[in-house]
Amino acid sequence: MAAKRVIVIGGGVAGMQAAITLKNNGISPMLIERDITLGGKLTRWDRLFPCGTPASEVIGKQIESLSELGIRTVLCGEVSEITPGDGHVEVALTDGSSYEAEAVIITTGFDLFNATVKEEYGYKIYPNVITSADLEDMFKEGEVRCADGSAPRSVAILHCVGSRDSQIGHGHCSRVCCITGVKQAIELKQAYPDCEVYNFYMDMRMFGSGYEELYKEAQQKYRINFVRGRISECSGTLDSRVRIKAEDTLAGRPLKMTVDMLVLMIGKQAPATNAKFASELGIRLSEDGFLKGVDSFDGATVTSRKGIFVAGTATGPKNIGESMAEAVTAAMKAVEYVNSLS
Amino acid sequence: MVNLYFEPFIIPFCIGVVFLFSVMWTKFISWISALPKSDRRMIRRNIFSSATLMALWEAFRECLLHLRIMRVNGRLWYMHTSLAFGWFLLIVFGKVEAILYLKSPVVPIYVDVFFRKYFPFAHIGWLGVVMDALLLFVLSGLTAAIIKRFRPSVYGMKRTTTHTLGDKLALSTLWFIFPLRLLAESFNSAIYDSGSFLTGSLGVVLAAIFPSKALPYINETMWWCYSIALGLFFVSVPVSRYLHIFAEIPLVFLRSFKVRTSVRATTFTKLQLAACSRCGICIDPCQLAANEISCDTQSVYLLRDEREGGASLAKADSCLLCGRCERMCPVGIKLDTIRTSVRHNRRKDTSTFDYGYIASADVTLPSAKTGFFSGCMGRLTPSVQASMKKIADKSGIAIWFIDQEEGICCGRPQRMAGNIDAADSMRERIEEMVVESGITTLVTSCPICLRTFTEDYNLGDIRIIHHSQFIAELMEQGLLDVEHTEAGFAYHDPCELGRGLKIYDQPRQVIARLGQLHEPAHHRDNALCCGGSLAHMGLELDKRVMIASSVSRELEQTGADCIVTSCPLCKKMLAKSSNLRVADIAEAVSEHI
Repeated sequence: MAAKRVIVIGGGVAGMQAAITLKNNGISPMLIERDITLGGKLTRWDRLFPCGTPASEVIGKQIESLSELGIRTVLCGEVSEITPGDGHVEVALTDGSSYEAEAVIITTGFDLFNATVKEEYGYKIYPNVITSADLEDMFKEGEVRCADGSAPRSVAILHCVGSRDSQIGHGHCSRVCCITGVKQAIELKQAYPDCEVYNFYMDMRMFGSGYEELYKEAQQKYRINFVRGRISECSGTLDSRVRIKAEDTLAGRPLKMTVDMLVLMIGKQAPATNAKFASELGIRLSEDGFLKGVDSFDGATVTSRKGIFVAGTATGPKNIGESMAEAVTAAMKAVEYVNSLS
Repeated sequence: MVNLYFEPFIIPFCIGVVFLFSVMWTKFISWISALPKSDRRMIRRNIFSSATLMALWEAFRECLLHLRIMRVNGRLWYMHTSLAFGWFLLIVFGKVEAILYLKSPVVPIYVDVFFRKYFPFAHIGWLGVVMDALLLFVLSGLTAAIIKRFRPSVYGMKRTTTHTLGDKLALSTLWFIFPLRLLAESFNSAIYDSGSFLTGSLGVVLAAIFPSKALPYINETMWWCYSIALGLFFVSVPVSRYLHIFAEIPLVFLRSFKVRTSVRATTFTKLQLAACSRCGICIDPCQLAANEISCDTQSVYLLRDEREGGASLAKADSCLLCGRCERMCPVGIKLDTIRTSVRHNRRKDTSTFDYGYIASADVTLPSAKTGFFSGCMGRLTPSVQASMKKIADKSGIAIWFIDQEEGICCGRPQRMAGNIDAADSMRERIEEMVVESGITTLVTSCPICLRTFTEDYNLGDIRIIHHSQFIAELMEQGLLDVEHTEAGFAYHDPCELGRGLKIYDQPRQVIARLGQLHEPAHHRDNALCCGGSLAHMGLELDKRVMIASSVSRELEQTGADCIVTSCPLCKKMLAKSSNLRVADIAEAVSEHI
């Protein structure tokens, strides 16, 4: 009897982990990735919190396992339609090809928040307002530079851009931006010890193992300034610096400063495909558009549609470890399901 | 000895008339005499001028013919006019009939009202036909009113007003008056063979049905019932919406004398409350009703509650102040100002914010003659200011960006919330700053600021214009050249700029220079509100987006490539709900330089 087949949609860390787990459990997986490379959003990262592990190392290991296990991978494959049938699911791609399997795991990840929506912060208007993703690109390239090519002497990092903001209808917390802000502040200090770094935050949510320690280190060892309060508005100066107005809510006073660079910690939002999958398959979405399992516990990766499983940041913001763990869970649920089919 | 023509059955009618006119006159006279001095001065100044003639003409047009309603809704107009004008003519011709018959200019009012009962053998042929025709006209209006109550959709109305107890009493008696008059006159005709084509024919039928012995008794009862119905209606008028029949007349005159509606309510506000006919025309244009966000806070309900002892702050606050209902009001009541005055009254100016910062806002005086004010919303949309800088550079005009360093709120949001004192403190600071600066033209990209600068500020000779007007002038003077492309732009009229300040043409002229102008289904003075309004701070974001989405869909349906508006708030709101790009008019222009 031929091995049961499961299609994994999305080749980020969660998708790759799900495919590996399926293969190790006697299933024949197939991985479909929209992009030209595997690794998803992680390909844009330089080093990871909390230990500074290079992102390429994490992706590299997974890609190696995929090829060792001989897992079939389709790159540049954009899913056009998922059609569930009785005991099987058909996945059609936009190039006209279509694949059949007994189950599907959706690991399509998240979209980065578009910072131009918060026009008041001046992204794409003032040259020295950048996003956390842009800063990560600079770290990858090896140097952080202002628009005029100089090294920054003062940087403000604004947390929660596109997260926990009722003004734009994003009520959720993106979870990893707090620790990313701490990580990037430390990296800036490591590269430019004389640079003043300010983090403007609402709360510091240091939930993961090693996060709180890193936050302490940022304050004690690196002398990074943490200001509780939001930046209300920005304007550009004649020499292209960024003037910011904020409120220090702990000291209870307004403050104004001019910095060389403003970094916006952009959050995660549900990808546009979530709504499409949800309506096609009749599965539920959370208020913020993330895919929902049948419950928040044992059924978190199992959807109300038989044979469709979900994992990774498609179900809500997560760090890498959590995404991988959920992918393993979804894969094992899929294994149980396909094996139960006669 | 003067003949009083007394009959017992006129008692209910007479009590009603006396009650109605004494209550009404007491009210109107006390309101007019309690008007502020400045308003009374305006009355004295204008009463012996053409304003009185104009008001007389308007009262005839609007209180009797209801021409404004005709423009809005033809069927509704027929209902109102057949009842109002028909009844008016019945009274007039009744009087004529009595005067002609009795050959005396002084006839007690009840004699002409109950003329057929008094003089069943009076035959003035053509008048009888006229009176029957008029009665038929009024009865057709009554039928229309009954249909409207139960099937408002026949009139193209989604919703009709819900009524108070007083309204229901008055409405029921009103519905009885004319059928009773028809029956009374027809029974009269059955006995005396005196009616014309309507009452006469019905009289023949009645005479055939009822035994002739019973006819006088039934006839007497019918006239009593008719008199009671009239009396009850008159008694219920002062406590019902029908007070509008009389209140609209002094309102038309006072308005013509230039008495103003103020956010600090005067007795003129009370007169306007009384003049509301609760026709419900204001309900359907309301986007809060259309999107089923709130269906009991429209102007008709606010005015009703306010007249019945006081509307709640929550009801007064639940409004976008978009001006769509005020534009449709057939009585011309200043709905937005009255709502603001209710907010002011209930809120008692208890603003909890500390506006201390405005005293410290300091600006360096400019050398430029043109000042640009971004306003708070403008500061949150920095690309608009960046575009204005580019436009100014290109045209070689020096501009002083007034609030680039420090922003002061123009005060309009506070004003709309009813916090008039807070708004005035901001107004005074900005007036001082702008007048001191020596600029001659004040440009703003924010219609909210522009409206309060225009309506509430005293900036001396400084010209106050919107940036769309400024750009249109630069183009006209040949100072600003733009590239015309094939791109299509759907223009969204902001409420404050359009209905508020009647600026419709210049933004369109500017867009026409950039590419193809597209108009959404609702445009110019009928444009929809984007839902972002600062007048309704309690409205949740999802509901705002619901309103914005319906507006965006209309704009997208034009087939344009880009939505253009000229208000930073509209821009932010539409961007949240549209699949197309949303740009401020200044951004669109700067991209075509």
